[in-house]
Amino acid sequence: MADTEEQRNFTQTQRLKAAVHYTTGLFCQEVAEHKEVEFSKQTIAAIAETTFRQCEIFARDLEAFARHAKRTTVNAEDVKLTARRSNALFSFITQRSEELVSNNQEQKEKRKKAGGKAKKKSDAPLQSGMDEDEDSNMA
Amino acid sequence: NKVGKADKAPGLPKSLVNSVFSHFAKTTVSRDTYPILQQCMDKYFDRLSDDLEAYASHAKRKTIELADVELLLKRQGFVSDKMPLKVLIERHLPMEYRKLLIPVATSGNRVIPKM
Repeated sequence: MADTEEQRNFTQTQRLKAAVHYTTGLFCQEVAEHKEVEFSKQTIAAIAETTFRQCEIFARDLEAFARHAKRTTVNAEDVKLTARRSNALFSFITQRSEELVSNNQEQKEKRKKAGGKAKKKSDAPLQSGMDEDEDSNMA
Repeated sequence: NKVGKADKAPGLPKSLVNSVFSHFAKTTVSRDTYPILQQCMDKYFDRLSDDLEAYASHAKRKTIELADVELLLKRQGFVSDKMPLKVLIERHLPMEYRKLLIPVATSGNRVIPKM
């Protein structure tokens, strides 16, 4: 019983790794065309493996940050906190999150215009969405 | 990095830093490592205070609490599932601090000697 569970877990991990590897390959292709360099297969595999392990670290940190703020939902604030170490990354992520919030708002306004009874569906978790919406209203 | 900051800036005493460092170092430590150690400690405390502030404000608090420190130690990899905070406290802190951090109910207990 436990053995099959382990087996399933392993296959799941392998699938995820394959997906990450594929996407890494695409990114590397882009960079290769852009910068006119070549990536060996081992390099791409190494980047994929690094990415996979980094995801583990990110997941743990995000969970810890959300729990620290007494939430069970990870939101944009937690993501910003993980990227706090590097200034460039932090500003980039802040910018992107603001873009997302404004996009959500536009969509909401469109829905309101289209008809108030449209289904409520937001990509961002409710709490953060609400807070940041208020902020952007103030600005 | 102002001149004259060094004698005013709060920090750990030189003797303490040196003795702790040589206690943990496997080899003998020459005395001229101290300036570098001091720089490292300064950087470490800068970053530590930064992090703690961020964690406290993340939990919408203005006071740094034990939870913030525990989160910091978690992120630094000292505290994990296999190594809880209490074990670290037991391992590295002297008795009087351990008593403060890990209070044990001793009411009516005659076994524990009076310290």
